[in-house]
Amino acid sequence: MKPENTDPNDARLGSLLREARATPSLPPRFREGVWRRIEESETPAAAQLNWLDALAAWALRPRFALAAAAILICAGSIFGAVQGTQANHENAQTRYVTSVAPNSLR
Amino acid sequence: MKRSLLILVIALLAGSALFASSYLMSRRVCETCASSATDNLEWLRREFHLDNAEMERMRQLHDGYLPKCAAMCEQIAAKKQELDAALAGSTNITAVAKQKLTELALLRAECQAQMLQHFVEVSQAMPPEQGRRYLAEMERLTVGEHEQTEETMSDHHGHVHGGN
Repeated sequence: MKPENTDPNDARLGSLLREARATPSLPPRFREGVWRRIEESETPAAAQLNWLDALAAWALRPRFALAAAAILICAGSIFGAVQGTQANHENAQTRYVTSVAPNSLR
Repeated sequence: MKRSLLILVIALLAGSALFASSYLMSRRVCETCASSATDNLEWLRREFHLDNAEMERMRQLHDGYLPKCAAMCEQIAAKKQELDAALAGSTNITAVAKQKLTELALLRAECQAQMLQHFVEVSQAMPPEQGRRYLAEMERLTVGEHEQTEETMSDHHGHVHGGN
């Protein structure tokens, strides 16, 4: 029976193992593909994509969403109150004018 | 990218809906609160900052004027009916119709003069500055609107009334 080689520094064994390791061949046009992807990452479209992603992520933050909702509710209420007051004022004026000046005189 | 865009669109829609609903609700509440006040003189109180004593005087003047105005309006309505009867079925303006038109115009002028007299009395019962403002505003809202209509018509048709 042949004795087993247990020496980890066996140079011949090391070179044999390196030769036996399979090196997969690169897919066709691999290099071109890599360059294309690098170029794409530097184009404005990708920048826009990042910008949109950042904005969407920002909009989804609870603190931002709550603040925006509060501001919109306040702005809508104030705007509505101003408009409603103005409409009331005009209605009151019309009511008074109608009561003292018949339509046939206006 | 599609997902981000979708999130942003939904956020925009939700924001718009939130703004619109608060606007409509607030406006509705404001209008409902004010519409419960059915006093025709409320505008005077608010616009000319009148106190209770001044409002009492306004109410007296207003209540005194209304029956006179109603009587005049009845006369005008009756005269209009007479004019309609005179115009009915005729293809020409008859002498009677012309007479009725003149009488109607006179009644309207009389009614207008009575109305302006009421405005003068009301303005005199107000503090001087408010009175001037009231008189100018009422003339603008009543006689002024009629003049505007005449001016618009003369502009449109190239007519000049009262020109030399």
